[in-house]
Amino acid sequence: MKSSDSTLVHTETGSKVIRERQTAEAARTKGLSRKAKDNLAGYLFISPWIIGFLGLTLGPLLFSLAASFTDYNITSKMNFIGLENYKRMFTMDDLFRTSLFNTLYYVIFSVPLTTAGAILLAVLLNQKIKGMKFFRTIYYLPAVLSGVAVYFLWMQLLSPSTGLVNTMLGWFGIDGPAWLFDPEWTKPALLLMKMWSVGGGMLLYLAIMQGVSPQMYEAADIEGASPWQKFYHITLPMISPIIFFDVITSTIGAFQIFQEAYVMTENGSGGPGNSLLFYNLHMWNNAFEVFNMGYASAMAWLLFIIVMILTAVNMKLGKRWVHYEGGDGK
Amino acid sequence: MKRGLAIIVAVFMLIGLLAGCSGEQKADAEKTKDGKVVVDFWTFWGSETRRPIIEKIIDDYNNSQDKVFVKHTFLPWGDIWTKNLASVAAGNPADVIINDINTVAQRAENKQVEDLSQYIDDSFKQKFYPHLWETVEYEGKSFAVPFNTDTRLLFYNKTAFKEAGLDPEKPPATWAELEEYAKKLDVKDGDRYERVGFYPLWGSVGASSWMTNADSGKGFIEDGELTINTPKKVEALNWILDWKERLGENTVQAFQAEFGSEQANPFIAGKVAMWVDVGTFYTQLRDYGQDVDFGVAPIPANEEGSGNWSEGGGFVVEIPKGAKHPEEAMDFIKYLTDVEAQKYWSVKNYDNVANIEAAEAALNELEGPDKMVYEASVKNLDQTKMFPVPVEYPDYHSRLNPHIDNALLGKTSPEKALEEAEEDIEKMKK
Repeated sequence: MKSSDSTLVHTETGSKVIRERQTAEAARTKGLSRKAKDNLAGYLFISPWIIGFLGLTLGPLLFSLAASFTDYNITSKMNFIGLENYKRMFTMDDLFRTSLFNTLYYVIFSVPLTTAGAILLAVLLNQKIKGMKFFRTIYYLPAVLSGVAVYFLWMQLLSPSTGLVNTMLGWFGIDGPAWLFDPEWTKPALLLMKMWSVGGGMLLYLAIMQGVSPQMYEAADIEGASPWQKFYHITLPMISPIIFFDVITSTIGAFQIFQEAYVMTENGSGGPGNSLLFYNLHMWNNAFEVFNMGYASAMAWLLFIIVMILTAVNMKLGKRWVHYEGGDGK
Repeated sequence: MKRGLAIIVAVFMLIGLLAGCSGEQKADAEKTKDGKVVVDFWTFWGSETRRPIIEKIIDDYNNSQDKVFVKHTFLPWGDIWTKNLASVAAGNPADVIINDINTVAQRAENKQVEDLSQYIDDSFKQKFYPHLWETVEYEGKSFAVPFNTDTRLLFYNKTAFKEAGLDPEKPPATWAELEEYAKKLDVKDGDRYERVGFYPLWGSVGASSWMTNADSGKGFIEDGELTINTPKKVEALNWILDWKERLGENTVQAFQAEFGSEQANPFIAGKVAMWVDVGTFYTQLRDYGQDVDFGVAPIPANEEGSGNWSEGGGFVVEIPKGAKHPEEAMDFIKYLTDVEAQKYWSVKNYDNVANIEAAEAALNELEGPDKMVYEASVKNLDQTKMFPVPVEYPDYHSRLNPHIDNALLGKTSPEKALEEAEEDIEKMKK
């Protein structure tokens, strides 16, 4: 009896265990399906983006890669020609070299100048002076105005005899250059114009500068640090992640310069003397003026590779000087 | 409950996106309610002056028959042709489009336009100026119908002529006379020019125009042969440089920069006494320069008898490849390029239309200065050269222009610039 009793008890406990297990399992499956439902909702929510990405970004991207090995002309031809397009860039197309040179010139000067300009402006606008809000607003304003109207404005400002820029230079006895009419001055003119709209970067720097803990500056004050030391040893490291971000995005942006030259040169030619024929403008002309879409695709991919490599180098170098607060930078 | 709602919302967003991708084609009804075929007509004529004119022509056509309804779509200059290209590639183009006259062969070669030969016979061709019809033919077929064209004339200020002791009824006929007159018309205050008699690169004219004018109308590529580095073209560049030297770089740039805005045209403002521009420049003179007493003449000839050659441009009407209703489209094109519509366009715009009979009929409806300018421009069509871009050299302009720029900027000699240009362009032959 005892044994059967114990068996009974055992069986009872056993079935209880099984029951518990079953409930647990039921609960778990129910939990899983809840999670699955959540996931499904999540995927559905981002699906417009995914579909957009596949259809409007990845699709065309792969298509252009394929097209870069063909003589694709948008409407009638698409024959595989291997590396012919890439070969042509380096061996036959003088304008390719000109456009690459112009673009590199612009990148090399515009990135450091705009970064330094934005930081300087942010430092100035970070002072606790009455009416600072007004200055912050007006310095940011150019970043709000849209492209083409601004370019027309600058064409007036840079006008050799009547433009404001040369008139102001004249006050100091300087005979200003012909800017957009002189091939040697066209690129500096664009750089000047670019400097005017550093407000966007300035705003980012200003935001992070305001987040730097005042205790650090107080501590530095106690140590008797000069303003420059405070800037170099506190501000600069603290804002370095934003500098890093700004350098990378503005490098990519500078490589893509197009509108300025398209709007500000006669018929979008990149003149005078091809001095404003930027890489993207040459690519655009190839694609839409003479329908060499295959060749333009190849140019686009080469640019992609150049920018990728430069960004990778930037990332690598960035590890050396970018300071992340409260972390090891990983 | 909330999750359920979330899923439903997400699904709707997805459907919305997909619908957005495919909706347009169906929404665009191909027929009107009363059964007319809808023909979509793309132009870049959206300005206050041009839009009412083209829309009146379209209305007249729509009212003239009950089979086709033409819908006008305005696209901005610069956008219209890239959009057209994209829509041709996507297989859903407009039915009729206004396009550039000098690049018809390019589009024919690249299969972007429909061949119109089946709709066109010799009697139709003969309605148009022959130099315009040539531009729409490629490999013996017709791919477009010319719509309008232009030509350049010398506008001169008669008051300034009188002041300088020149006969206002006797405009310069040769380059030598042009120079002689210009010097007399210059007005200087110390070193500063108050009025410049003439400068060859101002107005709607460029170095290439003078180069072809000097070369008896010979373009840069003639029958597949490169004719860039010719003695006459070198001479023309040197001649332009002489002007620049005489007036001085500063004067040229100072004046030039001021015209950029076109708010105050220097000819209208009396700052330049002789000015080369297209016939429709007259509309600006009429609207903003009521007090200017002006005359028009053909561009002076390089030397006596070498011809007053002018460069010409213009637009054609064509049917993009893959258009759904080519027959109906062609019916409209025929209306658009026939006497009545062309005459209307011409009288309203003083524009040179492609239809010969319409061009001449317009003359009878105009009076006074309207007639004077328009008549001069029609007459000048005989000495106007079109420069269609050859299929073998699709972007030769982009190679040629920088060399010309360099010569004009004094970076290289005209001889050398044209020699290099010819070599460059030779290399890119397709």
